[in-house]
Amino acid sequence: MKKSSIIIIVLIAIAIGAIISTTSDASSYENFSVAAENPGKEFHVVGTLNRQKEKYFDPKKDANYFSFYLIDEKGQEQKVVYHAPEPADFERSEKIVIIGKMETDHFEASKILLKCPSKYTDNQVKS
Amino acid sequence: MSNIIFEGEHLWIGNLGRMAVVFSFITSILSAVSYYFAEKKPQETHWAKTAKLSFYVHTLAVLTIISALFFIIYKHYFEYHYAWQHSSRDLPVHFMISCFWEGQEGSFLLWIFWQMVIGWLILATAKTWTNPVMFVVMLSQIALTSMLLGVKIWGIKFGSTPFELLRNAMGNAPIFKQPDYLSKIKDGNGLNPLLQNYWMVIHPPTLFFGFATTVVPFAFAIAALMRKQFSEWIKPALPWALVSVMVLGTGIIMGGFWAYESLSFGGYWAWDPVENASLVPWLTLIAGLHLMLIYKATGNALQATFAFIILTFILVLYATFLTRSGVLGNSSVHSFTDLGMSGQLLLFVLMFVWIVPLVLEKKPLIFWINFGALILLVIGILLSEKLNINKWPLIVIGSLSVISNIYYLAKYIPSSKKDDEIYTREFWMFIGSLMLGISAFQIILTTSIPVFNKMFDLKLAPPTDVINHYNKWQMPLAIIIATLTAVAHVLKYKKNGADGIKKIITHFIISGVIAFVLFFAFKIENYVFISLLFAAVYAIIGNGSLLKPIFKGKVKLVGASVAHIGFGVLLVGVLVSSANKKVISINESGKVLNPEFDDKNNIENVYLEGGKPLKMSDYEITYVGDSQQWVNTFYQVNYKKLNKETGKVDYEFNLYPNAQINPKFGLVANPDTKHYLSHDVFTYVSSVPAEKKEAKFVNTKKHELAQGDTIYLSNAFCVLKSISSNVQKSNNVNQSEILIGAEIAIHTLDNVYNITPLYGIKDRQVASFDAYSEEIKTKFSFKEVNPETKKITIETSEKDNTGNFIIMKAIVFPWINLVWAGTIIMIIGFFLSILKRIQTKEINSKTI
Repeated sequence: MKKSSIIIIVLIAIAIGAIISTTSDASSYENFSVAAENPGKEFHVVGTLNRQKEKYFDPKKDANYFSFYLIDEKGQEQKVVYHAPEPADFERSEKIVIIGKMETDHFEASKILLKCPSKYTDNQVKS
Repeated sequence: MSNIIFEGEHLWIGNLGRMAVVFSFITSILSAVSYYFAEKKPQETHWAKTAKLSFYVHTLAVLTIISALFFIIYKHYFEYHYAWQHSSRDLPVHFMISCFWEGQEGSFLLWIFWQMVIGWLILATAKTWTNPVMFVVMLSQIALTSMLLGVKIWGIKFGSTPFELLRNAMGNAPIFKQPDYLSKIKDGNGLNPLLQNYWMVIHPPTLFFGFATTVVPFAFAIAALMRKQFSEWIKPALPWALVSVMVLGTGIIMGGFWAYESLSFGGYWAWDPVENASLVPWLTLIAGLHLMLIYKATGNALQATFAFIILTFILVLYATFLTRSGVLGNSSVHSFTDLGMSGQLLLFVLMFVWIVPLVLEKKPLIFWINFGALILLVIGILLSEKLNINKWPLIVIGSLSVISNIYYLAKYIPSSKKDDEIYTREFWMFIGSLMLGISAFQIILTTSIPVFNKMFDLKLAPPTDVINHYNKWQMPLAIIIATLTAVAHVLKYKKNGADGIKKIITHFIISGVIAFVLFFAFKIENYVFISLLFAAVYAIIGNGSLLKPIFKGKVKLVGASVAHIGFGVLLVGVLVSSANKKVISINESGKVLNPEFDDKNNIENVYLEGGKPLKMSDYEITYVGDSQQWVNTFYQVNYKKLNKETGKVDYEFNLYPNAQINPKFGLVANPDTKHYLSHDVFTYVSSVPAEKKEAKFVNTKKHELAQGDTIYLSNAFCVLKSISSNVQKSNNVNQSEILIGAEIAIHTLDNVYNITPLYGIKDRQVASFDAYSEEIKTKFSFKEVNPETKKITIETSEKDNTGNFIIMKAIVFPWINLVWAGTIIMIIGFFLSILKRIQTKEINSKTI
């Protein structure tokens, strides 16, 4: 067998390995009910902030505790806790993506991505 | 609506710009077609002339577009959407340049500009290869200029013009019903504060120059396929490949440095899709470069050379598609405008995927079948944007196009006859190149998750622990690649004696000893890290042994060794700065409040009250106060380094992380970093109090002053320069009969400000009009005048500082300077190699 054939076989094997690794490491966009069914597993949840309910952040007491209520795309509401300061611009966000897992009484977010309407596409002329 | 005559618009410049876009598009088509026929029918010399002439006109058109757009931004013509959206009146000129490429259209323009410049360089240097190479470059120019057209054909949008009028872009807003709407638009949206940075002025042009250069090796490869001369292109393409590697690499690391200096994620690399998209073609290009060298020295690996050089350009186009089509959506923290051009961007990619089968096929029938498939794909993609048709036929034809590429390359390009010898440089260089290919494959695979979602209707999200996901692949690959740089480089091409092995073993032993010492110095625990440390040191030692020509004055010969050493240093820097990175702003008080919470990783921010020192790791930090500069608020944080044993202060320094409360972008924080040789202290504010409505003033003091007297305040001293009755009257002081002002100069550490509190009398009533200095947060009131002593009384009071706090995060990055040093060494290495290749090229051309 030529060495180049061996190399090609090894390459294909590694490529398959990379594909498997990507699919197994990939998270998925889900809603709160799926996250609740799989406690301990991390998901991406997309939703909007419930502005009727208080969000809590008191930096004097704890600068690393922020909680709020998020309504997912199915309309289900859930308390979310984020152990970091309230992200700048949180109020203005249109859509929020939280990454994390379900705990007993809340969703523990390890990361928050904000989709603000303003960034590049704010098409409102102030006059 | 159309019969309204709008006032004050400068329509001529936009019309000029649009016309220039159309011109640049048409001339690029004309030029490409002519270059094609100049290549195919060399006896008809008029083709070459037409081609050149069209290219000259094209150059003029491109320069006109750029001047028109810059003129619009510079003159603040807010009737144009681009100027309104990306700039504002208060921007300094150098940031106006950044506005230019903040938008998609402008960055395409930048790319077009560079590709045009490259066209000139090719005309000057490519000699016999000029016609086919220019044909490919102009093809790419057609695709790029089409992105700026901004026309609709049968409801399908082609391109997006930077000369769109605001009133057209936002059609229905009621303000545009008024003829004098323009006078009501006082200012533009402004430049994103994150881009208001020195690095954002030079990073995009460098990166786009890098992207633009990748077309040249590609064009040479395609030219070779057109001529069926599969080996002659390597020599002229090699310096270009090196330039491309150098410039693209510089652009990428500038982006990393910008991210480190001005973004608050705390690092220089985040595996963000946008970063990945620029890294991947760079990796494949480096692989392609090495394969070119192998072929040049041994005549092996020609198929792989073609594959990697072609792949690189396709990946650049794919990266463009990824970052600009909006397909990334939620998966990137960068924001993208979806200009509704994803179909067009995809076409751009496919056009160049199909170029290989089209130029290689000799039989007309099969050529037209190929061409038909391409047209089918084009129509399919354009329609799939409009109608919701089944994607599967498109996916099948798309994958067929990739397979046909491999088929044609394998069929036409001669493969190496003999089996590779293991004990040679070329064998290990080849393996190393493949490793780079795997590295690129793994990165682009995960980055493409959103594309797979679109293609197969999945709802996959990027891995939650992105860094870990990439590291578990990229670190072992880096270990192998670093090792191979030295192994392969120490060996010779074709045949080796026993001394090669001896050298490798010696280097291994030396590196083992050094890595062992470093391992204790850096306290690295993870096995993968230890292996990487060893591999990086080995790369430095092994390639270092090849630096001997320097001592003979032949600096140009060591380019490759220097570049490899740079890579080794870079790896050590990446390894140590990330493995030993330490978040020092750990606040333990959070635990008391939330006893159930014990995830230490999360407590990474501290609450700092103004003036209250806090002990944080080896430092005592104090938030001193804030000051305003232009639109940014700078928060002064004092660091005192405490001695571990005595507890005394070793040294101290101040950091000024800043935040901008931007009406459009909200709070945007920029970090500040103290650079030491061995480590950086990186700090940013993660949250600041909202602006207080009613300011309270405390610490009120009265000062009796004569002209020239001085007041000493906690943060400044102030001199009474003069007392003047010739003061400017503002609205609220109009009524006074007598009005005098105390002209005071405030001297802070680095600046002088003037302030004039006023004193007035009306109807025997005394009134004093305060003046407030934002810089020193102090209010001045002119209280009394004593005509006998010629003294006046000034009252000062400071703004209340309680409730004045910041929340900040601080990270120590040890030896991060090695990351920058490594890249700089690498770039120097590339540069030396370019010099060497250009020179050998010149010598060769002289001897011929």
